[in-house]
Amino acid sequence: MAAGGGGSCDPLAPAGVPCAFSPHSQAYFALASTDGHLRVWETANNRLHQEYVPSAHLSGTCTCLAWAPARLQAKESPQRKKRKSEAVGMSNQTDLLALGTAVGSILLYSTVKGELHSKLISGGHDNRVNCIQWHQDSGCLYSCSDDKHIVEWNVQTCKVKCKWKGDNSSVSSLCISPDGKMLLSAGRTIKLWVLETKEVYRHFTGHATPVSSLMFTTIRPPNESQPFDGITGLYFLSGAVHDRLLNVWQVRSENKEKSAVMSFTVTDEPVYIDLTLSENKEEPVKLAVVCRDGQVHLFEHILNGYCKKPLTSNCTIQIATPGKGKKSTPKPIPILAAGFCSDKMSLLLVYGSWFQPTIERVALNSREPHMCLVRDISNCWAPKVETAITKVRTPVMNSEAKVLVPGIPGHHAAIKPAPPQTEQVETKRKSGGNEVSIEERLGAMDIDTHKKGKEDLQTNSFPVLLTQGLESNDFEILNKVLQTRNVNLIKKTVLRMPLHTIIPLLQELTKRLQGHPNSAVLMVQWLKCVLTVHASYLSTLPDLVPQLGTLYQLMESRVKTFQKLSHLHGKLILLITQVTASEKTKGATSPGQKAKLVYEEESSEEESDDEIADKDSEDNWDEDEEESESEKDEDVEEEDEDAEGKDEENGEDRDTASEKELNGDSDLDPENESEEE
Amino acid sequence: MAGYKPVAIQTYPILGEKITQDTLYWNNYKTPVQIKEFGAVSKVDFSPQPPYNYAVTASSRIHIYGRYSQEPIKTFSRFKDTAYCATFRQDGRLLVAGSEDGGVQLFDISGRAPLRQFEGHTKAVHTVDFTADKYHVVSGADDYTVKLWDIPNSKEILTFKEHSDYVRCGCASKLNPDLFITGSYDHTVKMFDARTSESVLCVEHGQPVESVLLFPSGGLLVSAGGRYVKVWDMLKGGQLLVSLKNHHKTVTCLCLSSSGQRLLSGSLDRKVKVYSTTSYKVVHSFDYAASILSLALAHEDETIVVGMTNGILSVKHRKSEAKKESLPRRRRPAYRTFIKGKNYMKQRDDILINRPAKKHLELYDRDLKHFRISKALDRVLDPTCTIKTPEITVSIIKELNRRGVLANALAGRDEKEISHVLNFLIRNLSQPRFAPVLINAAEIIIDIYLPVIGQSPVVDKKFLVLQGLVEKEIDYQRELLETLGMMDMLFATMRRKEGTSVLEHTSDGFPENKKIES
Repeated sequence: MAAGGGGSCDPLAPAGVPCAFSPHSQAYFALASTDGHLRVWETANNRLHQEYVPSAHLSGTCTCLAWAPARLQAKESPQRKKRKSEAVGMSNQTDLLALGTAVGSILLYSTVKGELHSKLISGGHDNRVNCIQWHQDSGCLYSCSDDKHIVEWNVQTCKVKCKWKGDNSSVSSLCISPDGKMLLSAGRTIKLWVLETKEVYRHFTGHATPVSSLMFTTIRPPNESQPFDGITGLYFLSGAVHDRLLNVWQVRSENKEKSAVMSFTVTDEPVYIDLTLSENKEEPVKLAVVCRDGQVHLFEHILNGYCKKPLTSNCTIQIATPGKGKKSTPKPIPILAAGFCSDKMSLLLVYGSWFQPTIERVALNSREPHMCLVRDISNCWAPKVETAITKVRTPVMNSEAKVLVPGIPGHHAAIKPAPPQTEQVETKRKSGGNEVSIEERLGAMDIDTHKKGKEDLQTNSFPVLLTQGLESNDFEILNKVLQTRNVNLIKKTVLRMPLHTIIPLLQELTKRLQGHPNSAVLMVQWLKCVLTVHASYLSTLPDLVPQLGTLYQLMESRVKTFQKLSHLHGKLILLITQVTASEKTKGATSPGQKAKLVYEEESSEEESDDEIADKDSEDNWDEDEEESESEKDEDVEEEDEDAEGKDEENGEDRDTASEKELNGDSDLDPENESEEE
Repeated sequence: MAGYKPVAIQTYPILGEKITQDTLYWNNYKTPVQIKEFGAVSKVDFSPQPPYNYAVTASSRIHIYGRYSQEPIKTFSRFKDTAYCATFRQDGRLLVAGSEDGGVQLFDISGRAPLRQFEGHTKAVHTVDFTADKYHVVSGADDYTVKLWDIPNSKEILTFKEHSDYVRCGCASKLNPDLFITGSYDHTVKMFDARTSESVLCVEHGQPVESVLLFPSGGLLVSAGGRYVKVWDMLKGGQLLVSLKNHHKTVTCLCLSSSGQRLLSGSLDRKVKVYSTTSYKVVHSFDYAASILSLALAHEDETIVVGMTNGILSVKHRKSEAKKESLPRRRRPAYRTFIKGKNYMKQRDDILINRPAKKHLELYDRDLKHFRISKALDRVLDPTCTIKTPEITVSIIKELNRRGVLANALAGRDEKEISHVLNFLIRNLSQPRFAPVLINAAEIIIDIYLPVIGQSPVVDKKFLVLQGLVEKEIDYQRELLETLGMMDMLFATMRRKEGTSVLEHTSDGFPENKKIES
């Protein structure tokens, strides 16, 4: 349908992954990640409780999930009753989990048994299931889909009880009223249905984009003067795709007021909403909204009639990494979901990555307008890279977790693949009609679409990146590519570079060769590679000399100091070894004395040499010299052994030369003083 | 009186990016204000009339922002689906916008409901514009058609069905009320004349065209699509003047600076490039956080507004120059005090005795003049001097060395002072322009302080760092020497072909190097 536009194909797909806390005690957190795995985490100790891979997880990805209300697990399917009554003992535990898939089937998964309980297919949806809601007590399940229909299921018989058309476009969200007699559905408009007759009771309009979430916020009307008929006067909440406002609506007895009574504003599109129901007039509704940008906004408000201005949050919670060292800035960690604990005073936060979320309980302090928690998730954040393409994988988990592999294929997947979800975001502007997909059009036109992510650099993307960087003179890209240490990678990259980029590359290298030796060494590697690989090409260039002239001169002028530097280096090595040696002698005194004895003769020889040069300062230097020389001589020995050929030629004689200079300096010292005065 | 000759400070060319008039001009903006929109910002358009408000099209809304307001002063939200290309009329009073459902709506700036609705396109309308006579609107849609509408009686006047793919961009001539241009995904840009029933000009861009722009004179046309920006000469019948390939992803938007001297292009690679329209070289470039979809410049380049795919609108205002004026000016002596007596014309009998102009000496020069060499060295080893102007420090060290007193100046320092010196060495030793002087200084320091080495852990550590640095530099130079060998080989192969030129070159090279060294 054309009216659906660009937004209708995947309302929440890029932002939110279907996830839910188990009702009442919040003991478990179920998460259907994008790779098709269903994982159930224990919220108390942040451990993986169960993991389940639906047999058709690749073709029919999970689009929504819902926990059954706690009472339901006593009622069992007929086949199970025949066998054993094993579930009798665990009356207080939540069990069933309903999963809706992209192909229209609904799976019921039992966490107690750890296997697929049953599946709801026949007569149901033939398109993506958007939302599932359990009825509180009748054992019914309601689901809505992109095929515009709402279906009422009998869970015990796995049959369709009723199916009716809910909207002119896809129905994106459902909610059952607190008394269980009404149903809210959201497509292009929000409709309130009477469940018994399946008739529309009220219409609400106001969102421009598809509604992504619906929730009742009160279970009793605020003013008790009128008799309560179960629905009139109740408030409910709705959030929409690409919309930063959450609207609050009131069901009124008269049908005239159709717009929202108030709205909450958040920083980004909401991906997960949780609230505490207010049971009486005085108690405020507490609302936790997780946004797409990873922040949680908390609202606390007594719903009481019309409010014109959008309300802002009372408290915002963010999580960030601690900055390591001075330079690294703290990075924000996205919060994935948040749920109120049963005491309404603390909040369960799920954050980190979808594959390995961290669950933490945080006490609420409503007075602070902004909370930033510092958490280090680097040690637990380890996304595993699996290369083997198997349908069922054994994940890494702790020993207590059960690994569940379905023996028989759980359900039959339709061949129709799920719509591509990630690429749509960037090309939103270009998404046109439905006649030909943009991908096919692009393929037909043969444009090279550069979809290389910068984060996962591969060998084959290096030449492309480098070419791009050289063409657009992009400093970041060039840095990323040129600062590799892997010689093999450099060679491969240079081999694959197109010829016309060689000269720009050389010019770029010339620029970078002038820097600190640390980084310049890497550039030499590149330069060498270019020269070796493209030698024949370069030699055919008619203007090679002007092209490479500056480079040559630059290198030549830098190399000029080589000899002097080597000389200095020799001195420094000597110095350093002396320092380390002196540290050693501090620890153990006896070997030092030995050395002194052995070399006394030699030092006296040197002194005799020095006597020719100067005599005045000798008395000044005597004390120091004896010590230092003895130490130094020791070093010379060591040095010759250690550093082998490095500076053989200027080992000893340089030493004496420096000695002379040293004494000469001391000679000048008195002069110096006089000058200064 | 023998004058003291101040130390010649060698000046070196500044490394790094050159500062041009353009970088100064385009860097003179305040830090951007970021405004979060409801969806990808597909179009930004400035009103041509004061107070130069701008319309921002994002998702299903059009927001109008004032010059300094960060909240929209007006919102048009009566769209059933995504809105596109909200454009002001020349007088700034009407606004026209296309929509995903194929409608074209005309709004009064002061009103709320649309004044006119043009129904006729069957698919999304991505581009609309007013013609120069103000009474017509041109629109291009995904149903491959271009339509011309009459505003007074909201009728369709003409339909052009020449494109064979989506029409995604277009603009009307500012001078001729009958001329307008559209660009399409069928790789062509066509110029239409409302007086005829078909296109009068067609140029092949080679990529799906994302944006077109007509120079104010109407003589030059700029088209953007794929990674290319191409400039066409309309007067020569659509001859390609320049093809620019400076982005590495699709170019999405174009814009001219108010003077018409600079062309700006924004791209999905998150960059905005500024080209000179005389040389067509990139003279500046801006980085943004996300892929850019739309770009607009205010009157007199006062504001740069950029819309991105993540829904963020970045607004940069030019720094106001009035600020400097507001500073309390110190009262200075009048000009005539300085020239007092200077303009006295010499008479015939007068004997003119010039008083020698007082030479102003730098502090280190004064110290050197009085032979306080240690103090002079201290002065230039001050962190403010070593970091900002290392060449002064090096020059002084060189001068001391020339006088033969460097050792004296360096001697007799305590731990803190010597670590200052070593710090300076560590920082600058690897710079080829300073290396010869500093290596010498380093050797002298080692010679002087050899006896007392090992007494201070701080100094020892510094020596260790210095040693590491020197080792790296040596390794590097060894590598360079090897590379030089390779290059010699290359040049040798050249020599066989044209023997003389290389020889000339090498003979050129040496004196220059010597100059650098000395």
